[in-house]
Amino acid sequence: MKKVFAITLGILTAIGGFVDIGDLVANALIGSRYAFALAWVVPIGVLGICLYAEMCGRVAAISGRPVFDVIRERLGPRLALANLAASLLVTGLTLAAEIGGVALAMELATSVNYLLWVPLVGVLVWIVIWRVKFQHMETAFGLLGLFLVVFAVAWWKLGPHWGNVLHQVTHPALPPNEGLPTYLYYAIALFGAAMTPYEVFFFSSGAVEEHWRRNDLTVMRANVFVGFPLGGLLSLAIMGTAALVLFPLGVQVDSLGQVALPVVVALGKIGLAVVLVGIFAATFGAALETGLSVGYTAAQFFGWQWGKLVRPLNAARFHVFTLISLLGGVLLIMTTLDPIKVTEYSIVFSAVALPLTYLPILIVANDKDYVGDRVNGRIANALGMIYLVIVVAASAAAIPLMIATKAGQ
Amino acid sequence: MAATGRQYDAALSLLDRQVVDPRKLPVANVDDVELETGENGELWVSAILVGPAALGPRIGGLVGRIMTGAAQRLSGRGPGRIPFAIVTDIGSAVTVSVPVADLDVQPLERWLRDHVIQRIPGASNAAE
Repeated sequence: MKKVFAITLGILTAIGGFVDIGDLVANALIGSRYAFALAWVVPIGVLGICLYAEMCGRVAAISGRPVFDVIRERLGPRLALANLAASLLVTGLTLAAEIGGVALAMELATSVNYLLWVPLVGVLVWIVIWRVKFQHMETAFGLLGLFLVVFAVAWWKLGPHWGNVLHQVTHPALPPNEGLPTYLYYAIALFGAAMTPYEVFFFSSGAVEEHWRRNDLTVMRANVFVGFPLGGLLSLAIMGTAALVLFPLGVQVDSLGQVALPVVVALGKIGLAVVLVGIFAATFGAALETGLSVGYTAAQFFGWQWGKLVRPLNAARFHVFTLISLLGGVLLIMTTLDPIKVTEYSIVFSAVALPLTYLPILIVANDKDYVGDRVNGRIANALGMIYLVIVVAASAAAIPLMIATKAGQ
Repeated sequence: MAATGRQYDAALSLLDRQVVDPRKLPVANVDDVELETGENGELWVSAILVGPAALGPRIGGLVGRIMTGAAQRLSGRGPGRIPFAIVTDIGSAVTVSVPVADLDVQPLERWLRDHVIQRIPGASNAAE
């Protein structure tokens, strides 16, 4: 019974924790601009993150070694340092975007300008990192994030012709006046949003924080292979509502209000209240995850004590580093840089940084020193290789496409 | 090393691994190793070197020099040294027999703890 509870709770928090500001913005923006023509990217991204999250969860549960530890061991100090610099940049940018997202959700709820909320959000995020136990933090924000199911309800309430939706998903066609480079650019952005590197940093470090062992592998796999795909369905619902409400009107999403708008159209004020709680929880939870991930990656590269299992006093470098990153994120958003734009750049840069993170995971998931008899099976390795090719292609194409399309204009 | 019964490739099994104490608490990363020459000219690992002062030369270039220089200036000494004699196990991590608190290899950690973290309320409480 206890195990059933653990599995259910794990799956629910995985669903609620799956979506962050990158998924919210990318899916709504792409739904409003391309309707369902890019929906095929979502399952590809979700399968990729499932595959690699399972590998690094397994490595962490059996060897106790989180991802960035492994990255340095396999890539050597120089490449790993380059990867650390890139990961800190991308994750730091994502952290800033999440803080901006929380503040924008507060603005929508209160009509008080988001810039006034930013410092308060920064302080709240820090207090939770400083004081709240890891499991409580994960469960609370994961469950609150389930309010985002309102996107699925709205999608159903909008009553599309489902056969028609399926046809559009399976027969993607470029809308008139859209070029192929821009289409590919957004495909990479959507892929980057689903496979953001911080997710594996956080997932594997969390596995160590929660003391996962060999016999927790079933729970871990249930979280990954059931929870993540259902979270991916939420992403699709965000895209679907935007495709049904905003695409026909020719509105292109450039604010968080427009992300929530289709829900309001479908469900009215109740919908607005629910979606705001959901967006708040999803972005606040992700701000915690990215803030911690920045500290995790640096600490694991240098071999510092990290994490929330020990008193802050015993992980001084980790907490100082995390605090400085939070401050940096707050300051970046306070420059009045548009948080939605920050989000768009963070997911494209995520795609650029992917290969250096995913290659070492694949290698170590085949190393008996780390996983004993639980090395990758043939299917995991075959899929892992295919994804490595996709990830390298996306990474190489991202910056040229960004320049050629003027970041998707 | 062959005398211990299992051969290790020092570059693959030792360098860049996490060093942990008997309670599995992180001590440092194996940033470099100190080699000594025995009577018959064979090389053996005498110590694990840790800290940016040991890592800097392996990174090389400007970044490496900045790392080494900053570490030496801040700590006023060379890399931290963990004698190889206290190593008890080499696996996915390198285990040593002395608790992390008794190893003097974390000068920055100590300074930040005493001057920054300790002054923030709640620093000595475990999260609840």
